[in-house]
Amino acid sequence: MDGPLPLALIVASLVFAVVVLGYVALGRTPDWALLGLAGLVEAGALVLLVVAAVQVGGADLGGADAITLFGYLVAALVLLPIGFAWSLAERSRGATAVLAVAGLTEAFVVVRALQVWSS
Amino acid sequence: MSSTRAGAGRVLVAVYGVFALAATARSLVQLLTKADEAPLAYSLSALAGLVYIAATLGLAEVGPAPRRLAWAAVGFELVGVLTVGTLTVLDPELFPDQTVWSAYGAGYGWLPLVLPFAGIAWLLRTRPRSSDA
Repeated sequence: MDGPLPLALIVASLVFAVVVLGYVALGRTPDWALLGLAGLVEAGALVLLVVAAVQVGGADLGGADAITLFGYLVAALVLLPIGFAWSLAERSRGATAVLAVAGLTEAFVVVRALQVWSS
Repeated sequence: MSSTRAGAGRVLVAVYGVFALAATARSLVQLLTKADEAPLAYSLSALAGLVYIAATLGLAEVGPAPRRLAWAAVGFELVGVLTVGTLTVLDPELFPDQTVWSAYGAGYGWLPLVLPFAGIAWLLRTRPRSSDA
């Protein structure tokens, strides 16, 4: 959790959200490029969850903090798939913008997980 | 257009969904691990979480009377955020810990204050006309 991965994940999530907003502005619907970018973020979230699970034993985290940490990390894992499921059911700007909400929330939960980890 | 989950409504449902999950999960962890520190504040957050869940389901058109559910939830939410917001601004010591609605939701980027207005505006905008019925 102390390496560059969380930061890279936060940046990637924000980039994803900005790209989505570009799609919304241009009136484009989600395509494979967007899905690929989301896949990268998703892979990062999965690695982060595994890294945290491996390292949590050696960390000085209380029970409540550990629950909170994994709550955020599991949220980071499910956010984008749920966002895509809700978004792709409809073709409209509003539906595409859902992915921006998912991306911003993804960045936020990783920030919170990082704060819990370093507290 | 009378569907509350189409178009811009999809984003609104998504934002409500995030708040539903965040407020509910956070208050559950707080109630399970340190309920005695600020029982009223955490219970209030849990209540807010339930209200957000109801608003999400109503706006997403789940259940038998989604529009009524959405109106009730969004109305409760507006009253809640204004009441708790005013009380906490007048007396910051009222709750020993933050709730979603403390100081009108300032801790959550004021979104808790904006959301009910957005919800009401959207429900009005998508109101079924008598000719649709």
